[in-house]
Amino acid sequence: MKRTIVTALCLLIFIALIFPVKTFAGFPIGKYRDIVVPSFSYYTQTDRYDINGNIVKGQPGARFSSYSTSLFFGYGITRRLDFIVNVPFVYQVNNLGKGNTVTSQGLGDLVAGLSYNLVNFNYKQYLSVQASGVIPLYSSNNGTSSLGLGDYGSEIKLMYCGSLLGKGYFNTELAYRRYFDLQGPNQFSYLLTMGYAVSKHNQISVDLYLFRSFSEDKAFNSNIYAERDYAFFKPQLNFGHQFTRRFSTFIGGYYVPYGINTGVGYGGSLIAVIKL
Amino acid sequence: MKKVNCLLFFSVMICLASVLKVSAAIQQQGKPPTEETADIILNPAPQRKNAIFKNNETVSYKLQIHNNTKDHQNGRISYLVTTDEGEKVAADTVHLALHGKASKEIDIKVPSTPTGFYRINFMVNTANYDDTVRRVFGVSPENINSTLHRPADFDAFWKQSKIDLEKVKPQYKVLERPELSTKDKKVYTVEMRSYGNILIRGWLVIPRDGKKFPVHYRMPGYVVSLKPNMGSDDFISFDLNVRGNGNSKDVIDIGTDNYCLVNIEDKNKYIYRGVYMDCIRGLDFLYSHANLGIDTSKIIAEGGSQGGALALITTALDSRVKVLTMQVPLYADIHDDMKVSASYEKQVFPFNIFRLYNAQHPGFTWDKFFQTFDYYDPQNFAPMIKCPVLMGIGLLDRYCPPRCSMALFNHIGSTDKEFVCVPNTAHEVNLNYFMFQNLWLREKFRIP
Repeated sequence: MKRTIVTALCLLIFIALIFPVKTFAGFPIGKYRDIVVPSFSYYTQTDRYDINGNIVKGQPGARFSSYSTSLFFGYGITRRLDFIVNVPFVYQVNNLGKGNTVTSQGLGDLVAGLSYNLVNFNYKQYLSVQASGVIPLYSSNNGTSSLGLGDYGSEIKLMYCGSLLGKGYFNTELAYRRYFDLQGPNQFSYLLTMGYAVSKHNQISVDLYLFRSFSEDKAFNSNIYAERDYAFFKPQLNFGHQFTRRFSTFIGGYYVPYGINTGVGYGGSLIAVIKL
Repeated sequence: MKKVNCLLFFSVMICLASVLKVSAAIQQQGKPPTEETADIILNPAPQRKNAIFKNNETVSYKLQIHNNTKDHQNGRISYLVTTDEGEKVAADTVHLALHGKASKEIDIKVPSTPTGFYRINFMVNTANYDDTVRRVFGVSPENINSTLHRPADFDAFWKQSKIDLEKVKPQYKVLERPELSTKDKKVYTVEMRSYGNILIRGWLVIPRDGKKFPVHYRMPGYVVSLKPNMGSDDFISFDLNVRGNGNSKDVIDIGTDNYCLVNIEDKNKYIYRGVYMDCIRGLDFLYSHANLGIDTSKIIAEGGSQGGALALITTALDSRVKVLTMQVPLYADIHDDMKVSASYEKQVFPFNIFRLYNAQHPGFTWDKFFQTFDYYDPQNFAPMIKCPVLMGIGLLDRYCPPRCSMALFNHIGSTDKEFVCVPNTAHEVNLNYFMFQNLWLREKFRIP
């Protein structure tokens, strides 16, 4: 039971972490142009937050780790309209303690959709909306899988981004995601990114990410996919380096200092941005 | 759980507030300046942001009126719409009664008008105060037609000009200028011999960060001195001072009052024959110096006013230019320019100069003027353009009337062409245009 709870919590937070926000954000990609973003993410935890936000120590030797890669592709259909798709591949290792280990791997939830720039403010700030669908690329057994919720879903996202005075930039994203299941969940998230170019090729940025998943089923359930009501706050620090105009990388680290029904997780990500 | 909900809520509020704040600030920036000393301030806003309307569409403005005094104001608000030739199209007057420091807004609707550009003057008249705000709107300018006055030997004339240019050995010199260079860019002075063996110079700025770059090839405005363009990290900037401009005044050094008149009575010797060939020589320079990191497959010709005309003509005469951007191109549709300028209460460049010359030289008829200038009118080169084109115009421009610029634009042979109208500028465009131009160039060359 403990294993399944931990797996579910890790999976939920992991899903929320994989989108390469530093690369696409609300900036239009540009007509006829492509952007490809392969990324690698690592997440691990031993402890978790309970329903009241209190930290619950994990079993001795128990640890959940997730290694994932994803491939994001964006194409500028017009100056305002972009097509985006993201496909993750997940590898999870769940040490239950006492030498018991469970691993799982496979494709996760594909996210594909369209992003439309509603208005630009003198080409300095952009307000965009994105609508996308969520398609599970894995098979589920009676609606359960260790690779995702196993439900189709959709998401609508409002994005506002642009340059700040000097060498800074910002990005904000407000998203609502609904999984097509009787009990949802309904998920709201808000991301604020502030970045600053410390030199011509290097930048640092900070992400502040708030995530809230609502479900009518608020009761704790030993079924890992019944756990749908949770929340967390995740700050992340990133460093970006531009090798060429077409190739950049970002490396970042994060920690979850506050959560509800989720892991006390930490980890990092490595992202490559290829502009074609 | 409530903590997270509250955080989420306040974050959303902060986000929305910042969007609204920036939006409001930008809208405020977009308002035309008003004189704080004016008794009554008129601020007309076209229904179409760029003041370009469609055929059969009612032209409408919202006219904001603000009484800047503490006194009650009684009087009239009027508008008058005229053609480019000054012929009255529509007019109306309403009574104005406004309390001190009060504001009001009235809707003004002009009956649909045929294709073209129209001047619309908004006037306020009270017992103690009169003021007029001048604006211009366009109606389906993409349908403006004009007559090409292309001489029969136009192509042969310019073919021969290029042959003559080829006979001049360029004798290129590239001199690095460390005192002007920065840690990010190297600056060079380049010089070369051009048509008539005239020495011309330009500035080459090469980013250090990279091996091969597209080239932003800029040509100068009327007797304007171009300086090294240090503003671009993604392009090599090549700024050419044609003969008599900037650092190319060794032989020809003429003021603005006479530059466009040099040998105007002889089409073969008119100064612009050499000027146009200078621009082609600049292309020769770029093509012969690929070793400097110049991507010769990605050359952009750009300029404003005279520079816009030069950029267009260079692109027309030489297919080595791949993309053209120009603003307020000078001399466009010179025949119509003459008609439009005749309606001005006070003559402005260039026809103030041409008319003065005409008045002082009785033998120099307008027929003779056109016998020369028809070889140089940018409009006559427009059909030869086959590459992507972006043009920006200011609707209040009297040096380059919008009707003439659009006539030229409509003759451009390329199907990949766009124009941007800036409603409240005269002989210039605005920062917003250049922001768009930057994105447009990157789009055309797929530059990240």
